[in-house]
Amino acid sequence: MDRNKISKWLKNPGKMAHKYSFHVVYFCTGCGIIEIPPSITARWDAERFGIIPVATPRQANLFLITGYVSTKTLKAIIRTYEQMPDPKYTVALGSCPINGGMYYDSYNTITSLDKYIPVDGYIAGCMPRPEAIFIGVTHLWKLIDMDKADGYKRYREDYVHYRANQEQLFGELEWPPLFIKEIVK
Amino acid sequence: MQISEFILSPLLALIIGIFFLGLARKIMARIHWRYGPPITQPVIDIIRMFSQKAISHGSIFNFGLIFSLTGSIVVILFLPIGKMCPLSSGGLLVILYLMLLAPLGIALSSGEAANPNSSIGVSRKFLLALGYEVPFLLILLAVMAHYHTISLIEIVRIQANTGWSFGSLPLVLSGIAYFLILPAILGMRPFEISGAAQEISSGPKVEFGGKFLAFSTIQHALHEFIGISLFVNLFLGGWDLFGILEPISNTIWGIILGIIIFLIKMVIIFIIELFINAVFPRFRIEQAMKYLWKWPTLLSFIGLLIVVLFN
Repeated sequence: MDRNKISKWLKNPGKMAHKYSFHVVYFCTGCGIIEIPPSITARWDAERFGIIPVATPRQANLFLITGYVSTKTLKAIIRTYEQMPDPKYTVALGSCPINGGMYYDSYNTITSLDKYIPVDGYIAGCMPRPEAIFIGVTHLWKLIDMDKADGYKRYREDYVHYRANQEQLFGELEWPPLFIKEIVK
Repeated sequence: MQISEFILSPLLALIIGIFFLGLARKIMARIHWRYGPPITQPVIDIIRMFSQKAISHGSIFNFGLIFSLTGSIVVILFLPIGKMCPLSSGGLLVILYLMLLAPLGIALSSGEAANPNSSIGVSRKFLLALGYEVPFLLILLAVMAHYHTISLIEIVRIQANTGWSFGSLPLVLSGIAYFLILPAILGMRPFEISGAAQEISSGPKVEFGGKFLAFSTIQHALHEFIGISLFVNLFLGGWDLFGILEPISNTIWGIILGIIIFLIKMVIIFIIELFINAVFPRFRIEQAMKYLWKWPTLLSFIGLLIVVLFN
């Protein structure tokens, strides 16, 4: 952890501040949300690293999807993700958002979340323990250091494809496109 | 000296206000038996918010936030910090007027965002303001009637000669009443009604992101500074500490030590408020109104009667 290195702060304050101030929107889709309360309360205390839950996506910069994603909740996930201000990071928890997990053959579960919104990192496991969430956060720090946590940039660049995937699943979408220029191109 | 006070006074208030936010998070964490974030965490948060891309909801949305921030800074110019007070004319009456600008600006801004949660938050904020303004006005009237002046600097100076007004018999009830409404002024529990994160998604701040959230956090820090420093000025004697600054009161060291004593008093009051914040749950709005219009109003009214009858 390089939170106390003044030289790094002077070099790139925005990046350092993003690393040590994760305001998180926890999306309670599945069983993973039960692992969150111990990690943010007295037992593991995520606030040591500046990680606190916030109530609205406007104030957040980390989106934690905790568990399987059904077709119905995917709509809410996309809308929440699009409301968050850039730069924003997404981390998916558990094996279900990766490939469907134990719901791999379910008719209403998304087998790959990465097709609909960009995911910066996965924490695998069924379910991952709170320690694994902290290891995931340290990996995210490394990714931010190397400029590889660029999901929000990918979403802008490949917005046509993401939107096409979303429309393929839902048919006509109820909300207007986020980046109109990219669609028109 | 006069010009530098105009810059120094809001800057000091900003630093102390943000330090208070960090202290609040650290002390709350220690009460929960957690390790807690570093005390600089609000600074990190504010840098992060400024580096994020913000979404505006229109010109009133931008204007309201600037309006409330300006309101808070102007109030600070009228408040004596130690012996430093850039604007001294008008005194308590001006402060009473200007203190309403901050919630008004936030209300304008949140109203433009057209989010139902922020509308509920704003209505709760104004109801709470209505609740604490009645005892607040009675308290200020009692203080002004007791010292025969509306000037805050004059009140502090008289206290340095005759003892703190919290210790003097006629004003002790008003002091207790101010202490009882202080959590409502600061928006802390048990009066964390308008900014309740779990109920209404942090209320008026619900649509603020990026730099808007940063400015709203700064405004909140300044507001906390105003609420506590008014209490210290009115009832705890401002820069005075049992007359130990009497021999050096007009030198530069006297002024600096006066500011330090003032800030130490503020930190003590703030920590007591934090303990109250940690212990109590949140009131519902009608419970808060019932409480504010019963005990603090009664105490401040009796305090005003005592001052008027015995002077």
